[in-house]
Amino acid sequence: MKAAPRSRRGLVYVFLAMLVVLFAVPLLWALSSSFKPRGDIFAYPPQPLPIPFTWENYTRLLETQPFWGWFLTSTVVAVVSTAVSVFVCALAGFAFAKYRFPGKKFLFNVMFSSLAVPFAVIVVPLFIMLIKAGVTNVYFTLIVPWLAPAFGIFMMRQYVEQSVPDSILESARLDGASEFGLFLRIVLPLLRPALGALAVWSFLNSYNSFFWPLIVVSDPAQYTLPLGIQALYGAESRQVDMVLAGSVLAAIPSLIMFLLLRKQLLDGLTAGAVKS
Amino acid sequence: MSVTEVGVPRRPLTARLRGPGAAPYVFVLPFYVLYGLFLVVPIGIGGYLSLTEWAGLGTPQWVGLANYERLLSDGSFRTAVGNTVIYVAFSVGVVVPAALLVAQALNTRGLKGRDFFRLTFFMPVVLSPIIIALVFTLLYDREYGLLNAALRGFFGWGGIDWLGEPSWAKVSVMLLVLWRWTGYLTIFFLAGLKNIPRDFYEAAEIDGAGRVRTFFSVTVPMLKPVTAFVAVTVLVGTAQILEEPMLLTKGGPGEATLSVAMFIYREAFTRQQLGYAAAAGVVMFLLVFVLGRAANAVYGVGRER
Repeated sequence: MKAAPRSRRGLVYVFLAMLVVLFAVPLLWALSSSFKPRGDIFAYPPQPLPIPFTWENYTRLLETQPFWGWFLTSTVVAVVSTAVSVFVCALAGFAFAKYRFPGKKFLFNVMFSSLAVPFAVIVVPLFIMLIKAGVTNVYFTLIVPWLAPAFGIFMMRQYVEQSVPDSILESARLDGASEFGLFLRIVLPLLRPALGALAVWSFLNSYNSFFWPLIVVSDPAQYTLPLGIQALYGAESRQVDMVLAGSVLAAIPSLIMFLLLRKQLLDGLTAGAVKS
Repeated sequence: MSVTEVGVPRRPLTARLRGPGAAPYVFVLPFYVLYGLFLVVPIGIGGYLSLTEWAGLGTPQWVGLANYERLLSDGSFRTAVGNTVIYVAFSVGVVVPAALLVAQALNTRGLKGRDFFRLTFFMPVVLSPIIIALVFTLLYDREYGLLNAALRGFFGWGGIDWLGEPSWAKVSVMLLVLWRWTGYLTIFFLAGLKNIPRDFYEAAEIDGAGRVRTFFSVTVPMLKPVTAFVAVTVLVGTAQILEEPMLLTKGGPGEATLSVAMFIYREAFTRQQLGYAAAAGVVMFLLVFVLGRAANAVYGVGRER
């Protein structure tokens, strides 16, 4: 196939550029509005740029709301669950990729089926179970139940199969390495790109999650970022100005993580689907 | 620990032939412990609760299948199922083809800035749903929203009550779904398109196939595994749709945008009907599970090789 003729490529650019506008406008509007004085946010006709420009929404948010507390809770929860979950998934993915053992097929299918279990189905009984068991620690309830996503294991298995040659494992075994030693010293380093992919995925999932925290966190002092922003918005005066400032600040870590590890994430997500 | 030390007893030959013994079980154990505690046990509890009536205090009252009977005749539940079917149909029928179209455009040979486009379209998935929902609530605002302002600017008229009028509210939810998920699905199609060997297109061209023919006789069959994956993901994902309608419209106006997942949430946490919510959960579980399994069987996604 020759490169597309110039006219067709031109049409493609127009199409993609229009899409960029549709995708970017809502976000740029939010960014720009977060720097507008409250009264200007809904001015008609809409102003694309924040003129006059103000930091007021940000300073007021940081002065009147425990924003850094929300931020800290969200970040600690996301970092801890990411670290543990990546480890658990890599270990199980390694086992599924490189060992033959009785019951493997059954265990794999059991694991894979859990992808089809809707969140909404688990949520009510899980909440009741934790309450009845007297588990109220926010960090426990936000982190532990979501540490083992089947998707992560699936993805890790795919990667181990692709990037860890059997011969390396065999020769390390002949040198007397233990099976866990193999995982730590040989498999993990080879998996680095995949670990990055799973880490961003897992971080974003945890950092952005909203419903589970909404259900289990009742004390405003322990709010995560999404809960804090929601509370601001739900407040009677609908503090749109502070909500926009908070949203922009809250989005920064997600965007940084994503931009830093974008290649790993996009390749990692698609690796399992494309290999038929 | 020195691994080459002479005299370290080698494991017996039979053990080496049989493989590493307990190691793989130990490696998958953490997952299955968590799986058991936080997935299997809750499903069991949910199954039990679905046969009871319980407001959260005292002991659940055994009512047998009464909750399920009530679901069958509950107009709200039927509305929720109907709305969810609409969302699923929209996702499979519009969002998936849209993603394929965008991926096709991104796969144009010689295209510059592909990564920029890909990243921009993917951005919505990276952001918290609450942030997106708040921004869209403001954009959809009837009087002050950017959307109506833009309509007024271009067409001189823009008084759509995006979130307040039942049909428009459904449209608003679906537009948000389209905005949020198209870019995510695009990357799967794009990866699939990149995997199609160029010879196939060249052969089609030599045979004199036009672009439409080539699309249907080369691209579509070659993309089958990816399409299958995407279709199953979207089917199972949209059947559980919760965030978009709940955050944007709270299921309203009335119950115009209520989904099954939202129905469950509402019964459990705002109406304290835990048994009833659990029964709705069991029904949803069965539906999604059967749908997922059926789609897997048809397409062969995730089959252990």
